[in-house]
Amino acid sequence: MIIVDEVYKRYRTDHGVGKWVLQGVSFTIPPKVNVGLVGRNGAGKSTLLGLIGGTDTPTRGRVERRCRVSWPMGFGGGLQGSLTGRQNAKFVCRIHGHEADLPDRLRYIEDFAELGEAFDEPIKTYSSGMKSRLQFGLSLAFDFDVYISDEVTSTGDARFKEKAAAAFKTLADRAGLIMVSHGEGTLKEFCTAGIWLHEGRAYWFDSINDALKEYKKCPNP
Amino acid sequence: MRTSSLIAWTVWKALFLRETVARLSARRAAWVWILLEPLAQLIFLNVLFGVVLQRLISGIDGGLFISTGVLGFSVARNTAMRLKDAIHANATLLTYRQVLPVDTVLVRAALEAVVFMVSALFLFTGLGLLGYQVIPHDFLQVMLAFAALWLAGIGLGLILSVVSQLIPAVGKVAEMVFLPLYFLSGVMHPASAIPPAYQSWFLLNPFVHGIETVRTGFFPQYYTIPGVSMGYLLGFAMFTVCLGLALHVRFATRLVAQ
Repeated sequence: MIIVDEVYKRYRTDHGVGKWVLQGVSFTIPPKVNVGLVGRNGAGKSTLLGLIGGTDTPTRGRVERRCRVSWPMGFGGGLQGSLTGRQNAKFVCRIHGHEADLPDRLRYIEDFAELGEAFDEPIKTYSSGMKSRLQFGLSLAFDFDVYISDEVTSTGDARFKEKAAAAFKTLADRAGLIMVSHGEGTLKEFCTAGIWLHEGRAYWFDSINDALKEYKKCPNP
Repeated sequence: MRTSSLIAWTVWKALFLRETVARLSARRAAWVWILLEPLAQLIFLNVLFGVVLQRLISGIDGGLFISTGVLGFSVARNTAMRLKDAIHANATLLTYRQVLPVDTVLVRAALEAVVFMVSALFLFTGLGLLGYQVIPHDFLQVMLAFAALWLAGIGLGLILSVVSQLIPAVGKVAEMVFLPLYFLSGVMHPASAIPPAYQSWFLLNPFVHGIETVRTGFFPQYYTIPGVSMGYLLGFAMFTVCLGLALHVRFATRLVAQ
């Protein structure tokens, strides 16, 4: 269960304090519910994912995680450019307390990412598709109760996309999912509930279809 | 559920390995340079000042005298400068909420200590094989003085890591300040070479106290000036470490959200 209570968020910019991105967002995500986040560009979707994932803290209000929540996956974050894929994978395993079964996890990540010899090359030599393969493999190697995904399914070549979609499906059945995607089909496939972010506020819908309907109805989408 | 201290411990271990790998694979044969860099500096200074110093301080070898100064100063400076860049170098890893900015800084401090010990051991072994008298007469005091200099470096590094992340120009200024500090810390001359009228000014620099204490511990016949005290250096180290940690607590949110 994840409780978001009266969360306000604004960022500090180069010229003082920015405008409010989130203004009084409150909702509770029950266990094992897959939620899709919709809203136009800049509505605060990634900000909200960061707050839920604990990589960022709200300016005001409170986020409570009563389960194991993943880090926000996607967009090349969390990979150190100077280290190889394998070294990055080891690092992530270690900070999540998997020192003991490190070889097993590594083998899983290596097999899933299918990077071949590039697995032992520095991340800075990777293409964006290769990075997202690794990230996807990384996120699947741990047992979280809730996974946070920021457009992670929409990367990679055609064959990998298929594989990722299949893996995502099993993930969605096993654990909770909070995802951002601009693909309507993806959202409908994986999510049951939806949150529509609009002008700093969040609107909860028990059905993702209603959330999408409301999002599209808005005159300034 | 893992406890907070267990999570911190695993993060430190993982970061330590990550930093070590980065340090050793930064350039071709990086580990050779870790050993050779202080050596090259020492050979250069020895050629310049070794002969002069021999006459300045009777009974003490100029080479060993400079070695103690360079090592003492560089453990403080290298620690401070490495720690300053720790957050920036690990920015992508802050995606994981287990990793805090202060973790990256503290782990670098530990690695700096290891690098220092390895290069000092290498240096003194080398000098010993060349026939120098490298066993200090008060080993404990020498170790303590080096440790205090390292702590002062950690304190400065902790402060600079926060401030330079918020105001990048401060980091550049700090780098420039360390250059004249090299000549004001008694690396290449004994403190007693400073005229008595200026000694109270000279002693404001905390590094002087550490370097002079290293030397009195190293050479039994070395005389330093009155007013050199480990308490001053340790006080400075404690104060900066506390201030640095407080800054990390105060600006924890802003350091992550870049």
